[in-house]
Amino acid sequence: MLDEALRLENVSLAYNDLVGNMFSQPKAVSFFMDREEDEQKELMRNVNLQVKRGETICIGGGSGQGKSALLRIIAGLVRPTRGSIYYFGEYIPPERLTALEVAKRQVGLVFQNGALISNLRVRDNIALPLRYHKMGTEADIDEKVKMAMDLMRVRDEANLFPHQLSVGMQKRVAIARSWAMDPKILLMDEPTAGLDNYNRRNLLPLIDNMRKLFKTTIIIVTHDLLMTRELNCDICFLHRKTLTEPHSFDYWLNSNSEISRELFRDFNANRSPNF
Amino acid sequence: MTPLGKLFHKLGLFLLHLSLGQQVALFWNAIKSLFSSSRNFKTDTRNIILQTFFTGVEVFPTLFIVASLFGTVVIIEVISMMGKMGLSDIVGSLIVVVIIRELGPVLTAFLIAGRSGSSLTTYIGSMVINSEVDALATMGVDPVRYLVMPGLFGGCIALFFMNIIFSASAICAGFLLTKGIILLTGNIINIQLTWSYLSHEILGAITLTDFVFIVIKPLVFGAIITTNACYQALNIQRDVRQVPKATSKSVIRSFLYIVCADVILSIFYFVDYINNINTLI
Repeated sequence: MLDEALRLENVSLAYNDLVGNMFSQPKAVSFFMDREEDEQKELMRNVNLQVKRGETICIGGGSGQGKSALLRIIAGLVRPTRGSIYYFGEYIPPERLTALEVAKRQVGLVFQNGALISNLRVRDNIALPLRYHKMGTEADIDEKVKMAMDLMRVRDEANLFPHQLSVGMQKRVAIARSWAMDPKILLMDEPTAGLDNYNRRNLLPLIDNMRKLFKTTIIIVTHDLLMTRELNCDICFLHRKTLTEPHSFDYWLNSNSEISRELFRDFNANRSPNF
Repeated sequence: MTPLGKLFHKLGLFLLHLSLGQQVALFWNAIKSLFSSSRNFKTDTRNIILQTFFTGVEVFPTLFIVASLFGTVVIIEVISMMGKMGLSDIVGSLIVVVIIRELGPVLTAFLIAGRSGSSLTTYIGSMVINSEVDALATMGVDPVRYLVMPGLFGGCIALFFMNIIFSASAICAGFLLTKGIILLTGNIINIQLTWSYLSHEILGAITLTDFVFIVIKPLVFGAIITTNACYQALNIQRDVRQVPKATSKSVIRSFLYIVCADVILSIFYFVDYINNINTLI
């Protein structure tokens, strides 16, 4: 399929494999490790997901269901115990499935805590991957960094270090850093957590712009279910170790499934005509 | 897979499961990453120079004091003892063996392992804990290239220069301090020491092998310290308590590996001696 961005097929992950690929070890060590066969020790089992190009999809679920782990799998930081992953229709065999290999396919990940390099200024943090991959001359990179900073409104903080910024601001810088790389798939881990209402409202049109203008495929892990409605995208849930089918916010709100009863109860209770 | 292939596969996996095997692999990856497509001469040189200064310059005052005091002790002990035994003509050889050949490189490596190896482990270890290393990897920036490679080369270069400084200051500052002690105590230790005598003895005793090993030993020790420090740091499993553990492990393991490597390198001297014996006979 030409318009397919990402496909997960029967992906399973055991608790033991959660720690991920260690950069201290050669790839072969984790590849030839004994695989966990006990289903009780699996965090997720037979997860299937298909995302089209330019599509935005949210992944929800209770805490500790492995939402972030799923993003780490997609980003290549964790090798799934079983199953296969296709990026733009291309299958990466497990022995080559590392974060560096996935990053070559322009997959970006925004971490929950921002994960900025703490000894670099905001400006250098955003410029670091651009300089490393030699994406243009120094003037081009400067221009790109300024654009990214303007977009996320962190221009005034360009010369500050990450520890001088608040959590929300760090997250905005992290999003700017990912955006500057022109990702084709952008993975976001809780983008709205820690943001005030003003910045949250401003972030949503930005995500909307990215998918409309740049045709970026965006996968968002979130607790913020209302975001799904505002972005008008589908949401699927990690529930009982597996991923449900993606459906719209209204579908989940009105359905009678266990997930709806657990996670949408508050919305139903406060339901008002203009909601 | 053929039986022979299986055997090699098992052997390879066994070696790669050992911590030493993984360190060799990390060292190899760091060297290999120097030639990767993202090489940038300017940035790399800057990173390596920064790392060299970080490793070398800050440890200099301690190193200088340790070297001069150590040199003084060795010079006084060797000259007074050999003088008593009537073996004044091997003073130079003894000083060369003790200071330049053995303890100079080893003590320098210990000082740098304690100071820079440990700080490299904490620095990279904290980055692992804050998932900064993961963030680097998801941006396509190879952590081995970005973090390990400058540390490795910077460590080797710094150790090379520090070793020369150590040996030089042990002999020169050691000589001056000994002279000072002789002057202050009215030569109570009863030794006759002049610079021309000492330098003549040392220069006469130094051989070509020594020069080769002045280069090789620091480079090997530097590679051991930094690879080990980076390995222990990258091996941390996202638990803050692992950082101090990894740091102490990095220093202690470095000491162990340095002494082992020193013994292995010294075997070449023995080979040298045996060849000399053959020519004598």
